[in-house]
Amino acid sequence: MAPCPPTIGEFSVLPISIPPLPSFPRSAVHYLYARRNAPKIPTANDSRSLFLTNVPVDATEIHFRGLFATLVGVGRFESVTFEEERRESHTDTQPAQAARLLAAHSKKRKREHEEAERAAEEVAARIPSTWTRPLRKSGSTAVVMLADDKSVDQVLKAIAKVHKSKKYPSWGSVDKLGAGKAPPLLGSAWLKTHNRLSYPDRDALQASVDAFSELFAKKEQEAAEMAKRLRNEPDEDGFVTVTRGGRNAPASKNEAEEAKRKMLDREEKKKEELTNFYRFQLREKKKEEQAELLKQFEEDRNRVRAMREKRGKFVPES
Amino acid sequence: MDSAPAKRRKLAHSEPSSENVLQSATTVGLSKHRIFVLEAEELLEEAAVDYAAAFPGADTLLGEIKTLIEAIEPHEPLPLVEAAHKLEKKHRLKVPFPEPRPPKDCNYKVAFAKPTQFNVVGSYVFKTMVETQKDHAIDMIFVIPAEVLQEKDFLDLRYFYKRAYVLAVVSAALKKKLGADADFSFEYLNGNPLCPILALQPKDKETHQLVDYRIRIIPCSPDAFFPRAKLHLGASLVRRVEEKESGVASKPTPFYNSTLIAEGSFLTYLKIIRQIEKKCAAFKDACVLGRIWLQQRGFSGAVSDGGFGHFEWALLLALLLKGGGDGRGNAVLSTSLKSTQLFKAVVQFLSVTNFAEKPYVLSKSDFEAPPGCGPVIYDADRQLNIVFKMSPWSAALLHQQAKWTRSLLNDGTVDQFSPTFILKTDTPVYSFDLVAKLSHFGSFDHAAEVDSRGKAWQFGSKVYRILKRALQDKELGERARLIHVRTPESPPWQLEEKPKKQKSTDVEIGVLFDPANMARSVDRGPSAGPSTEEKEECEKFRRFWGGKAELRRFEGDTIRETVIWNSTSPFELCEEIMRYILNLHLRIGVLEEDITFNGDELQDLLQLSPADSLVFNTTRKAFADFEKDIRELEDLPLHVRRLAPICPELRHASVKLPTLGPSKSGPRPMETVVSFEASGKWPENLAAIQRTKIAFLLMIGSLLEKAKEGQVKTWVGLEDAKCDTENLAFLDVLYESGASFRLRIHSDLEEILLERQVKDKTQEQHVRTKATTLLAAVRRIHTHLPLHSQTISTFVTRFPALSPTIRLLKQWFNSHKLSTHFPDDFIEIVALNVFLSPYPWDAPSSPNTGFLRALLFLARWDWRTEPLVLDTGGDMPPVDRAAIDTRMEAWRNIDPSMNHTVLFVATSHDATGLAYTSYDGHAKPSKVVATRMTALAKSVSRVVKEEGIALDARRLFVPSLKDYDILLHLNSKVAKSTLKTYPADNSEDVAMDSPERYSRFKNLDERTGKAFLPLAQHPAEAFLDHLSAAYSGALVFFRGTPDDMTVGGIWNPQVQKKKFRINLPTSYKPDAAAAAHDSDDEDEEQGVDVNLNKEGILAEIARIGGDLIEKIDAKGL
Repeated sequence: MAPCPPTIGEFSVLPISIPPLPSFPRSAVHYLYARRNAPKIPTANDSRSLFLTNVPVDATEIHFRGLFATLVGVGRFESVTFEEERRESHTDTQPAQAARLLAAHSKKRKREHEEAERAAEEVAARIPSTWTRPLRKSGSTAVVMLADDKSVDQVLKAIAKVHKSKKYPSWGSVDKLGAGKAPPLLGSAWLKTHNRLSYPDRDALQASVDAFSELFAKKEQEAAEMAKRLRNEPDEDGFVTVTRGGRNAPASKNEAEEAKRKMLDREEKKKEELTNFYRFQLREKKKEEQAELLKQFEEDRNRVRAMREKRGKFVPES
Repeated sequence: MDSAPAKRRKLAHSEPSSENVLQSATTVGLSKHRIFVLEAEELLEEAAVDYAAAFPGADTLLGEIKTLIEAIEPHEPLPLVEAAHKLEKKHRLKVPFPEPRPPKDCNYKVAFAKPTQFNVVGSYVFKTMVETQKDHAIDMIFVIPAEVLQEKDFLDLRYFYKRAYVLAVVSAALKKKLGADADFSFEYLNGNPLCPILALQPKDKETHQLVDYRIRIIPCSPDAFFPRAKLHLGASLVRRVEEKESGVASKPTPFYNSTLIAEGSFLTYLKIIRQIEKKCAAFKDACVLGRIWLQQRGFSGAVSDGGFGHFEWALLLALLLKGGGDGRGNAVLSTSLKSTQLFKAVVQFLSVTNFAEKPYVLSKSDFEAPPGCGPVIYDADRQLNIVFKMSPWSAALLHQQAKWTRSLLNDGTVDQFSPTFILKTDTPVYSFDLVAKLSHFGSFDHAAEVDSRGKAWQFGSKVYRILKRALQDKELGERARLIHVRTPESPPWQLEEKPKKQKSTDVEIGVLFDPANMARSVDRGPSAGPSTEEKEECEKFRRFWGGKAELRRFEGDTIRETVIWNSTSPFELCEEIMRYILNLHLRIGVLEEDITFNGDELQDLLQLSPADSLVFNTTRKAFADFEKDIRELEDLPLHVRRLAPICPELRHASVKLPTLGPSKSGPRPMETVVSFEASGKWPENLAAIQRTKIAFLLMIGSLLEKAKEGQVKTWVGLEDAKCDTENLAFLDVLYESGASFRLRIHSDLEEILLERQVKDKTQEQHVRTKATTLLAAVRRIHTHLPLHSQTISTFVTRFPALSPTIRLLKQWFNSHKLSTHFPDDFIEIVALNVFLSPYPWDAPSSPNTGFLRALLFLARWDWRTEPLVLDTGGDMPPVDRAAIDTRMEAWRNIDPSMNHTVLFVATSHDATGLAYTSYDGHAKPSKVVATRMTALAKSVSRVVKEEGIALDARRLFVPSLKDYDILLHLNSKVAKSTLKTYPADNSEDVAMDSPERYSRFKNLDERTGKAFLPLAQHPAEAFLDHLSAAYSGALVFFRGTPDDMTVGGIWNPQVQKKKFRINLPTSYKPDAAAAAHDSDDEDEEQGVDVNLNKEGILAEIARIGGDLIEKIDAKGL
């Protein structure tokens, strides 16, 4: 095994030995790079978390629990957040009207228990996942949260020690630690379960869709209420928002688009009536045609010239 | 394009040169024609031979030869045999007498006298040679003086014996003087065995010559020495001894007669061409164009190459220009035409005059061609049939080629130039649907024939006559459109030897099918009626077809002579008929190896059979039933507007036939899309629309199960969706009968909302990019694919060979592990392309030609600069084409390294050019893969060209695994097991596959007999998709069908080494060398190198694959 530097930049290098498999009977070493977590927008838990990069593609929380248990013992590891999970943006499930209004008037915060309730509803409305275990993108990152600030130091020290002892922790040595059940299998079982999960129970699916529509209806109603409230209420700058539902309801976007199209059609027709009406128009058209012809001829000539540049184009094949 | 007349006056004084430009712009018309003219000019420039450099010292050598010949000592008449013997003895050479050799007892005498005239003729003097022609020859003629000949020499080859003697004398003299400077050999003039000539190839003095040229010395008779009246086409001038004795009228000898006339016409025609050349400025260029056109189609003046070469072209053009061409004494063509116009005119002439069937007479005459003298273009003024060297088949081929080229030149939308002049089209496997080789002449007795063109030619002619009657004639329903026979060439021979026999005695036969008729297995002959005429007809029929003819009763109580064939596919039918009829009439084909047929390995490869289309039709029928069931559902809140298929199985285009019966694995439903009437009820939010769709699918599912109780089982399946604004679910409908369909719903509001997001400039960039991708996906599934399916379905019925061509092409992509990168519809469009713009041929009439031409297209397609535009609707306006070109140019400007857009394919329904070749926001295929496709296609075309008709097409389907860096060998047993999954009966579905739960014994297993779940996605496909997503930066995977058990992979060469940072594209290990300097401060600033951790990645893949991967092979590890 080639010697490996204990650190690269501000990252500590954590080599992990990978046990050989029958299909690839060689032992390999994977390198995990770790440092203290210091995101651009600090959060309360930064001091007790570690930032990892080059996470193995098959990594799960169980893997990391096991890994940290080998490094610093059981009980220090709290949770891990993978890159995709952090990025996962919550899709906007607001009705269009509500979204627009909320963007303009987001000053009113909801009370806390209401928020919790809403979150529960959203979970119920979520579509079940079809994979027992996602794969990470190769080379991606994760943030590991540990029990306390001290654990972070311990982990970094342990990593440094690994380099001296040359005893690399092994990946997937889970059961030895009793850190919970093994991660779901990959391979054929994984694919088969995926197929099974792709066809969920019909009632469960129906329930989830129902939960969603309920939530959606509620939001829609809230939006309508808010619209009503805002109808006559000037904002900070003293403007009154025009909203749907007033006496002269503004047209919906679809209707507006339709109307615009009609108007353009009308104009087009008007224009058409007056083309080729005067002599000068005909004359100008002829001139234009001629100019166009000349231009095309020039273009063609250039194209042929360009082809000749490439050479070989004009030699008959033999 | 008739544009307004130019305002010359005004333009003239503003800019003098523009007038010319404008004039040429208006005269040449449409854009493509204009380009054609410009390109032809370039070609002429490119092809021109620099005579001074190419033929150094040729003129001096010619002069030298002339003096040497003039210096030969004349001698008094001697008996022929004696003179020849003497000469042979003295100079150790063989007099090249034509067959049959002069009888020992012939009593006429030969003499030698100084030739009266010398002349250099042919393309050397006219300077119409091109660099690429097969060989460059300078033709020098000398006229045998009249005193040596006698008028009656036209009989019984006497002239040709004397000619051979004179030639031998000249050869002997020249060899003596010039033997050191040149190689001497005899050859036949244009492969005509009557006319041996001397070829003299200067030995390389200044080592590198531009071209290898030779001088051909041709003896000829004095102008009009023999009475033309006696040499007419019907005259019989070669009489056999037996015939003379028995007094039977002998057969006419048109070829012999025409050769005799041609012998005396060299100088006349030289004069005519000279005159025209002076009168018509573009004549020479038109001849060069004609020469290239003929050369690319394999035609030349030699008898074996069709007998229509550059000389015939020039002569025909000259005679058309000269006047007297139309029978009233006027010129057919004007001398003021341009070279391309002259070229087109000759092509037009050849395409409308079918002179193989009906003699064409130039100039006014009451000439009547006797029957059976082959193709005739008769120059009445000089009484010569100028195409006397042509055979009926070569005339038919020329006619056909001219027709194809004419239709190409009339099609203003395609590239006219390369198919006309650049592409080499004489490879038989591209042109003919069936190519056979006869290597045994059977019981054929050539002595019975009087033609002088040699045994192989006569044999070919006989075979042609029989096959034409059997396959091409109206009588039996025109199975073939064209039959071609290729006879072997006659090689040159040394002076000391006897004329060499033709190298191989193989005769090649090419047949072009009429796809509508070739598949017929019952041939109906004349009806067996009581009248004498009918009886005669039947007798004729029986005589031709022999024992195979039988009487059969047909509907309407008609009794007809009939021939029944056993084969089913067009290729086999043709083979069966050919074997039978050739055996019957010529006794060949008794032994299997007498005739070898090439081209059906492809069918074997896929087990293509005509019955396949029935299976596809049954599938279509099942779909129609499904559509009916959906439309008949009563309680749907919206009306179904359209239910369209989008999968290859439902457009006759899948490699494997769709299976409708029970299968051993989970069914793979055929994909369809449904759209409903417009409705305002869809919620105005993407995520909500997707949920509404799920509710809709659940509803359709339960309604369908209720309506067709017991016959239908439905499953709502979830897509492997990344976010909840994309399509989330589909409905799988499984019929008891075995057919299964997958239904996806289209919502028009979804499209509108996405469009709005894409256009909304106030949105964040990532939202808009996402919306663009989603919109493309929606449009692909719901607009593009239904239209594409419809297009392909229509053309499949119009072109019977299209469906198997598509399937072969897909198989080729599969076997080279490319198909994961190419959408089905793209491959289909490529196949369709060779049917819709087949130039320089016609639309392929068999899968063989279709497949090979599709690969030829891929090999030649320069996708970096050219879009593939296919007018599937048949009415694409030129403006649209121009717009497509502009769009492609714009893409290339934005993205010159081709990271986002690679192949550009536009059709009538998709002018964006990307619907076929992009997927999920990426180019599919990527540049790397597209390059690999081109390289593979190029090597196929090379192999085809090299192997010719001996090609074993199976070779084209053998993948080369050594090109891949890694190979994943999957375990086929495990892979098969993933195809079988059962519905979860309770919530502990993870444990479903644990072995303890189910008995080892099949009959004890509670799952036995339970139906399989359908496959949401083929597991192998899902697996590879995950791998590709995880290693998108580092590895490119290659795999054929999902059943392919070997996956290839290639490392991306750009990511081997990187500076360390967060978010590297893939897994890296620290560089050991860099580690040594790690403590240095400078290094840290620059960043430390890291290397690709190949072992680590492969170990990861092994873990993901688990039991599915049997072995990983890696290069260089």
